[in-house]
Formats: sequence, structure tokens, C-alpha cells
Amino acid sequence: MSTNTIAVMGRSQGMVREARHLLFTVAPGALWIVIFLVLPSLYLMAVAFMTNGPYGLPQMPLSLNSFKQLAGVGFLGWSPGNLYTLLRSLWQTLVATGLVVLVAYPLAYYITTCRAKWRPIMLLLVVVPSWTNQVIRTFGWMNLLAPGTPLSNAAEVLGFISPNMGLYPSNFAVTLGLVYNFLPFMVLPLYAAFEKLDTAQVEAAQDLYAKPTRAFWHAVFPQTLPGLLAGIVLVAIPAFGMYVIPELLGGGKAMMLGNLVATQFSGGSNWPLGAAGAILMLIATFIGLFAMRRIGKRLGGGEEVVI
Amino acid sequence: MRKRTLKRGLTAFWWITLVFLYLPLAVVVLFSFNASNSAASMTGLSLRWYHQLLGNEQIMTAFGNTLVLAICSSVIALVIGCLIGYGMYRHRHRKLGWLIVLIYLPIVLPDIVFGISEMAFFVQFHRLTGLLQPGLGTMIIAHVTFQIPFVALIVYSRFVGLDPTLFEAAKDLYATPVKRVVHFMLPTIKPALISAFFLSFTLSVDDFVISFFTAGPESATLPIYIWGAIKKGVSPEINAIATLMIGAVAIAAAISLLFSRKNQHSRKRQS
Amino acid sequence: MTDLTNAVNTTERLDREETRVAAADAAARGKRGASSIRMQGLRKQFGRDAIALAGVDLDIHAGEFFTLLGPSGCGKTTLLRILAGLEEADDGQLTIGGKDVIDTPPHQRSVNTVFQSYALFPHLSVRENLAFGLKMRGVAAKAREAKVAEIARFIQLGDLVDRRIDQLSGGQRQRIALARALVCEPDVLLLDEPLSALDAGLRSQLQVELLRVQKRLGMTFVFVTHDQDEAMVMSDRIAVLDDGHIQQVGPPQEVYERPVNAFVARFMGHGNLYRIHRRDGSRLSTEIGTLQMDGDSQGELVLMRPETLDLKPGHVEGPNHLPGTITERLYRGSHAEFRINIADTTLQATVNNRGRRLPNVGDEVTVVVAPEDLVTLSE
Repeated sequence: MSTNTIAVMGRSQGMVREARHLLFTVAPGALWIVIFLVLPSLYLMAVAFMTNGPYGLPQMPLSLNSFKQLAGVGFLGWSPGNLYTLLRSLWQTLVATGLVVLVAYPLAYYITTCRAKWRPIMLLLVVVPSWTNQVIRTFGWMNLLAPGTPLSNAAEVLGFISPNMGLYPSNFAVTLGLVYNFLPFMVLPLYAAFEKLDTAQVEAAQDLYAKPTRAFWHAVFPQTLPGLLAGIVLVAIPAFGMYVIPELLGGGKAMMLGNLVATQFSGGSNWPLGAAGAILMLIATFIGLFAMRRIGKRLGGGEEVVI
Repeated sequence: MRKRTLKRGLTAFWWITLVFLYLPLAVVVLFSFNASNSAASMTGLSLRWYHQLLGNEQIMTAFGNTLVLAICSSVIALVIGCLIGYGMYRHRHRKLGWLIVLIYLPIVLPDIVFGISEMAFFVQFHRLTGLLQPGLGTMIIAHVTFQIPFVALIVYSRFVGLDPTLFEAAKDLYATPVKRVVHFMLPTIKPALISAFFLSFTLSVDDFVISFFTAGPESATLPIYIWGAIKKGVSPEINAIATLMIGAVAIAAAISLLFSRKNQHSRKRQS
Repeated sequence: MTDLTNAVNTTERLDREETRVAAADAAARGKRGASSIRMQGLRKQFGRDAIALAGVDLDIHAGEFFTLLGPSGCGKTTLLRILAGLEEADDGQLTIGGKDVIDTPPHQRSVNTVFQSYALFPHLSVRENLAFGLKMRGVAAKAREAKVAEIARFIQLGDLVDRRIDQLSGGQRQRIALARALVCEPDVLLLDEPLSALDAGLRSQLQVELLRVQKRLGMTFVFVTHDQDEAMVMSDRIAVLDDGHIQQVGPPQEVYERPVNAFVARFMGHGNLYRIHRRDGSRLSTEIGTLQMDGDSQGELVLMRPETLDLKPGHVEGPNHLPGTITERLYRGSHAEFRINIADTTLQATVNNRGRRLPNVGDEVTVVVAPEDLVTLSE
């Protein structure tokens, strides 16, 4: 045989061995995720296109009824309940994210102005509450916002709420819970952005007679923008799909998409409707992912696997 | 000067935020020692709720379930995740974009979609085959699914940080493939394995939504029990459990601070 | 010059200290078979365009210190890795000690490598690193301890064995890496640029130590480097590689003084290569002037090493006398390097400092070269 053929044969033997090695190491994990996540998710998406059957279980024929129901078109004509829930989800996400930004931004900046020795501890202090169980955290707020507590009493006195109502369940409580939950997720990327701040740009701006607010707007803010955008995506997308917080702090009055979906799989018994809602959440998630990739590209990041 | 007032304002803001962050937790801890079962006022200090905790069979079962679930799922995820993490490293020169997407999927999916997909899947599977009743089994499967990516990424980045010639040195020094794994690879990535296990364990213990939707009647975990108790009406025992869990987190935080300080010191010694 | 003196002093001192130990060592060790290596037609390609080795034939004798020398990318490291079994040749034959090993995986070859990055296992102590190969081979714990102690004495590691890897300096790590490879008593030791990460002083010291170890053990060493000085100091024979081909194989003196082509000539040291316009027997008409050679000439270029040249003041007539002007002078204490303009061509000359007056820039001098110092070679 020609030397080339021998070389090629030798190389392909090695390639087969390498392929088998790849299979052996990667297959278990990949198969696991495909069987136990991809398949169920695909099934769920398929369910959205089925019809509601007994006990809420899906059955054929295929239809778009669930999406219509999501938009409020039901047996009894147009009932906007579901639409309200959707809009409330969007609104809560917006408001909560905005508030988180307003609080986290100066906080992250403040941490960078402190002595380097203290910063890890300060960050730890901000992050540790998010290490506690979400249910417990929310329960804590239930305690604080219940009728008869100092906070509720103060709100009563100020005329924000009716007597004996308590600050929860309400939209306000849900917003508060969301802000509380997501604050650390915004502080970390903003802190990272502030750390990398090129102060020379700020000094240049000041040197060129810019007033403090202008210097901030033109020299500081643009540099923190990538971190800010990353934080917004990290907060808004999960916030949209929250379940625990609106359920506990909102009761029946401040339902979000997550609660709507969950109900269909237990009491409400309408799997296709729930699945349709889940698809909406998935769409929001993928929008968030694309946004993150574009932000990452703007930062000059590559395709690396980063932890 | 303006700068000083800004700094003072920010400092005040910082402390207010800290109060905001710790107030709910502090209240829970405080009221867990409340002598009465009032949720509105402290009448005195007592450990009665903790005593009641220990006598409550349901809570003890839930605690046991939580531990079993966390340990089983973490072990399985460690094995599978380690394999895939190594595979990703060894074949990192190939185009494995699809694998990266697959790995990130469990992390990226909203947990309610995750939980409901699993539930729907298990319910139908059970209807078709009679196997896999909702219970610890289904919960373990679901937990492993979201733990694998974390383990894989931790193991992968540990391998990436290694000097690649170390592998060759092991081959050169007569280690057969099996011996290379046992005597070289596993010992070298031991710290990563420990932290991956620890992370998986924490994620499992902390999870509520996914556990809730994949649980069976007998397999409630602590977060599920707490949820049920909250929905039924406030019971002061919850404060006690919650305080214990917060305590565990505080200890974990302290340990992590100590570890990072130790790492910094040893790194300084090296250079 | 000072490096060589240092080296000689170190060797002498070490030899005196070691005489007593050496005898015991040799007796205890017995004569381990050092192996010869034969390579035929070795070929290696990475991807479609990158040919690392284009058919290499090489015979390495048992017990010799053999160096693979060449610029980066010439294939020397690939060749070494094929010897180690860490890389598979696409084609060709390889026998070590008479045994065909082309298909043998690295963990089954009686060959050990000292890596450029030392590759010491960070999770093991120095002692455990040294014992690793023995452990993998199934040597019992007591025997391992004994062998580790023996090699520690031989390489003079002293109390380094009790340290952790991250406490060691570069030079210390290198010696541990060497000890770890030697403790397994391989037939051949491969060294992949082991000294390139060290500073100059440490390098010369370790060069001597490596040479001493090799001579004491009588083991076949295959050494890879891109530094021609290092190669010449240590080797019994050198193979110069470029672009996947072997350019020349031979003892250092032969490769330096009688290179076969321009590449080897330039790589081994400062050149002075000139094109031959016309040949008339042993009389060469070159771009720098007419030169009289000793015997026959082959090839298009003529080589004059700078240190073989004599400088006479002024312009003097005579055979192999080339008149010119000094354009540059670099005084280096023990010698001086000159750049001389002759017939609009530059020539480099190195003159030893004998205490007499050295010429200056602008001086007119005549360069004289002896006929036997002229070498002709091909492109």
C-alpha cells in the first residue's frame, strides 16, 4: 500500500478510538439530559397544542384553543382574567427590575469606594440572604407585612391601605418580594463593571469642564452599561417566570404567569392552557439568552464555556 | 463638599439596604424563640418550638427525605457530571456547540417550566408503564438533571487549569489508562469534586419548585413541608425550622469566607 | 570562556566528592542495558498542510548523548514524542534495543521523558513524585523507598525530597524531574528542552550535571534543544533538523567545522558565507575575493568561521589575503568581534585578546584565512 494510505489508516484507527472515548464520557450525561429534560419539555410544548380532557389531561385532537384561552377567549366569550395575569407579569417584571436597578446601582458603586479589604465581606453580606431558601425568605416578608405588624400599621396610618388589610397579599408585596429576591443578582455584575471602570475617562470628562451629572452620564454610565444589561437580563427573565413569591405574597389577587401555569396542573386542571403559558415563558427565556449573547459579543467575549 | 455628602448619603443607603436585606430573616429568627404563638408580638423567650420540632414526625420525615434526596442525587450527578466534564475537556478541540447548549439547558430553563415538564412527563410515563410513581425516585431524577451541568462545568474548568503535559507524564511513567484515572486524574481534581458535590447538595436542599412538582405523597422535603404549613396557616414551628436553615446558610457563608482567606494566603506564599 | 572554566571546576569538585559514592553506586546498580535506537522513514503530518516529519532515518548508538537540534517548528520535539510514544507516527519503523516499538503505547515502553515544563504532579509530594513510575510498575513499597533514596543520593537532592512541589524553584524542579525519570532505570532517557526555562548561570551548571549523570550511568540520552551552544557542550553526536528533514548528523566538531549546507552553517554559529562565482580546481573566485582552498571543493558557497581569521594591520598582499576596512568593533574582554568591509561585502572576524593592540574602527586591515579553514557547502 502507498505510504499515504498507511498514514490515513493509522490516523483513522486513532480517530475511531477517540470517538469511542468521546461517546463513553459524554453520552451518559447527554442522554440523561435529553431523556429527562429535552423530551419532557418537548412533550410539554406539544401538550399546548392539544385539547383539554378529563382531569385536565391532554388529548387529541390538536387545536389552538389553549392559546385562545390564554388571550381570554373562552366558552363564555371573552374573559380577560388570563390576559390580566399576563399583563401583570410583564408589569411586575418591569417595575421590579427597574427598582432593583435603582437600588443596586448606587450600592455597587458604594462598595467599590470602600477599602479593598472590606469589599469581599460586603459582597458576601449582600449575597448571603439569597442563599437562604426562597420559601423561607418570602415567609419572612409575610411575617413583616401581615395585618397588625408595625409596617402594616404605619401604612394604615398613612392611608395606603384599609384597616386590618395588611400589606400582603397585594401587588405591592409581590413587587417587594421580587426586589428582595433579585437584588443580589444585579449587584454582582454591576460591581464587576464598576471595578473595571476606567477612571481616566471620568477625569478626562472633569478636566473638560463637565459638571458631575454630565461626567457621570458620559463617562461612567456607558462603561457600566454592559454589566447593567447583563444584570437586567439575569433579573427580568427569571422574574417573569416566578412562582413562589407571587403565590405567597400575592394570594389570588396578584397572580403572575407562573401561578397561572401551575394552577392548570393541579386544581385548575387544564394542562394545555398551562403548557401554553409555559411556552410563553420559554419564549421569554430565549429572548433573554439571545440578549445575553449579544451583550457578551459587545464585550468582546468568545464562545468559551465560562462558569 | 459635595463629595462628602454623597459619600455620607451612600453609606446611609448601604446600611438601610442591609437592614432591608436582613430584616425578614431576623424577624423569623426572633419569633422562633417567641414564648407564645403570636405572629404579631414577642411575649418572651423560649425554645418550645424547637422541642416541638423534634417531636413532629412529619418534619423529621421531611428532613430525612431532604437528606436522602440531596445525597443520592449529588452522588449520581457527581459521577455523570464528572464524566461529561472530562469528556468536554478531552475533546475541547472539536465542535461540540450542541453539547454546550445541552449542558446549559437545565440551568437556563425557568424552574417552573422545568418542574412542570418533569411532572407531566412522569405522570404520563406512569400511566403508560406503571413505573416511576411520583416519589423520591422521580425527585432524584429531576434533581440530578439540574445538578449535572454544575458538576460538569466545575470539573471542566478544573481540567482546563491543569498543565496538559501532566497527562503525558503519567503515561510516560507507566500508568495504564485505568491507573491514570485512579492515581492521577481523580486525586488531582479532588478539590473540584468536593466543591461540585457541595454545590449539588446545596442546590438540592434549597430547591422547592422542582421538588414540589415531582414529589409524591410520602416524599415531602423540608421546603415542601414548610410550604404546606404556610398555606395551611401560620404555625410557629415554621419559624424554628426556618431559623435552623438560615443558621446552616450562615455557617456555610462563614466557611466559604475562611476558605477564600486560606486560599489567598497560600497563593501569596507560592508567589 | 568563563562558563567553560566554571563547568570544569564544578565537575572536578563534584567528582572528588563523589568518588566514594560512585564506586558503591556502580556496583549496586549493575550494568543496565542502555539501548540503541533505529528510526526508518518516520513520517508525521498534522492536518492537511503541516508536515512535521518528512521521512526521518536515524541511528542512535547505545550509551551516547545524542542531541536533536534545530529551530522551533523543525520537528525535533515531534520526533522525541514519537520516541516516547506520546505521538503516533503516520508511517515508518522504530526499534529501541532491537525491539519494534512503533505500536507500543507509552506506558509500556521502557523509555522515560524529562518534560520542558517538568510536569511534576502537584497533588503529590516530591517523594511520591519520584516513586510514581515505580508504583505504576507494581514495585513494592519497601523497594520503592530504597530506590527513591538511591536516586536522591545520586542526584544529590538532599532535603528536597521532603518538600512539597510548590515550594521548589525552577532548577530544583528540573532535578526532581530528572530523578523521577531516572529512578525507573529506562533503556533510553528523553529530554525535551529541559533547561530552556532556566537562567544562564543555572543552565550551565545543570548542563554539566546532566552530562555527568549520563556518563556515570552510560545510559542513552536523547536531548532536544534549539540552542547550538548547549548541543555542542553536551553531545556525543548532533542531528540538525529543519522543516521535518535531517540536515546533518555528526559529532559537534564535525557539524560546526564542516557543515554540509548553509542552513547548518548558519545555525551552528556565526557564518561568513559567500557565493562562489567560478571554480578553477581548488582556486575559488568569490564575491569577497579570490581564495585558495585545500583540496577539492563542492557546492556553491564557501564558509569562513570568524575565529579562524587573522587580522594584519594595513593592506598586505598575499594568497588568501583580503584587504578591507573595519566598520564595527565589539570588545568583549577575552575577545573582540569585528565587522570588516571587503570589496563592498561584510565579513565578521573574531580575534582573541592576546594583550596586543586591537584594531579600531576605520583602520585598514588585511584578513588572512588558512586554506584548510575554508569549507565549501551547498545551499
